[in-house]
Amino acid sequence: MDATIGIPPAVTEETQAFWNAASQGRLIVERCSACGRDNFPPRGMCRYCRSRSMVPTEITGRGRVYSLTVNYQRWLPELEVPYVIVLVEFDEHPGVRVVGRLRGCPPEAAAIGMAVEVGFEPGPGGYAIPSFYALNR
Amino acid sequence: MGTELLERRAVISGVGQSAIGRRIDRSGFQLTLDAILAAIADAGLTVDDIDGLAMFPGGGKSNLPGYSAANLYEIQDALRITTTWRQGLVEGMSLPFYGAVQAVATGLARHVVVYRTVKEGSAAKKAGGRPAYGSIHPEAEGPLAWLLPIGALSPVCQIAPYAARYLYEFGVTREQIAWIPVTQRKHAALNPDAVYRDPLTVEDYLGSRMISTPICLYDCDVPVDGSTALVISASETVPDLRAPVGLEAMAGVIDGRPSWEQWEDFTRVGYATAAGMWARTDLGPEDVDVAELYDGFTIEAIWWLEALGFCKAGEAGHFVDGGERITLGGQLPLNTWGGQLSGGRLHAAFGHTAEAVRQLRGEAGERQVADAEVAVVTSAGGFEAGAALLTRWR
Ligand SMILES: [Zn+2]
Repeated sequence: MDATIGIPPAVTEETQAFWNAASQGRLIVERCSACGRDNFPPRGMCRYCRSRSMVPTEITGRGRVYSLTVNYQRWLPELEVPYVIVLVEFDEHPGVRVVGRLRGCPPEAAAIGMAVEVGFEPGPGGYAIPSFYALNR
Repeated sequence: MGTELLERRAVISGVGQSAIGRRIDRSGFQLTLDAILAAIADAGLTVDDIDGLAMFPGGGKSNLPGYSAANLYEIQDALRITTTWRQGLVEGMSLPFYGAVQAVATGLARHVVVYRTVKEGSAAKKAGGRPAYGSIHPEAEGPLAWLLPIGALSPVCQIAPYAARYLYEFGVTREQIAWIPVTQRKHAALNPDAVYRDPLTVEDYLGSRMISTPICLYDCDVPVDGSTALVISASETVPDLRAPVGLEAMAGVIDGRPSWEQWEDFTRVGYATAAGMWARTDLGPEDVDVAELYDGFTIEAIWWLEALGFCKAGEAGHFVDGGERITLGGQLPLNTWGGQLSGGRLHAAFGHTAEAVRQLRGEAGERQVADAEVAVVTSAGGFEAGAALLTRWR
């Protein structure tokens, strides 16, 4: 698969683990060792109890589309349109919302509330980007 | 209210604008000087009276081509003034005058010039369309690191999911919200400085191309070249001023996650800022004669109509339907200069503030709202947002 056109991320101390895991097809967020809650994006501090003791945890379950947009504008040369951008939340990881692309259904079939599976696709700069997969119904 | 509010010790004394157009063939620096000199003259002051200078954005920050022009120090150098207070901001500039009011109210300056200059019209022409994020920086930094790699390459893509969720939850239709751009275009026809003045119909709106669903072409403001400058003065200088406008209340509150994609509830935006503003005044929504509500995208004006209490959550579609309530002579004339949708993307509510001042002075020409005494101005939407009530000076 050709890499998706876009602008690569500037990777930081806080986000290195996320992008490393992404390259292995795994979605990780930070889990607080003190209160057990999940945090995203990673900040090295729990935004619920302010503990600095954060460990990576992998999201493997299904997500649900909180909102979306189908983009038709070719913002960059060679950008293939249309494509779907989804904001996905996870019943088992409250407070986590991850933005990515959506595959597995025609753009016009994408809908708020639809169930998706975690996935990645080759993105700009050699990074793997979140690319969720639409599940039937 | 007890102690006197800080904003009551400040007035908006001057408004000035350069030529505004899709493309103005002069530098942003020259446009800025045009606007500043016009604003100072409009205030009834001279350049030597100015002792404070502020701009948006600060630090030469520019994520988008044409977003920033005219460095603050170079402007001060050209004006050859002494300043006791300066500010350049993105974070914290809830309103164009938010910081300047604090400066003049606390005695750090007496007359502050605040300016915002855009060359986004020329940049769009060069890019062959509305430019994307990332056409300046090769890597996506900070909050954009989550958005640009996956293809959310423009502010449109950040806002569109808010509009999608809003339509989904409340069953508001595109046919209804079309009345915002359509009505504002009608207002723009009465504003000789607006960039788009030809009539726009609901059918034109529904037939226009999608940019990023559900946001179509006419939901997006128009990139332009132009500069707006304001003069903010300490209220004790009122005897020296030509036509000051009062500041009744202002607020800029962030009570949720300050991130486009992490903001908790996409259907409730601006509520804390609106509540913060109303808490600082005895006036209420029923007292507002004219509303200049930020409209980078149509949905942002909808947020403000609901957050400020002009209608209930989810009822803005009904409120604007048909356009009668939001036009001249209606209950709440909205964006009487055409807004950014037709007047041009002067950005950060500089155009909105300029119009509110003109309305309250009775200097709005053909689009004047009769006996306008109270105007509401809002800036942006999403997490960095501001709201203010401006009043006719008595
Ligand atoms: Zn915790």
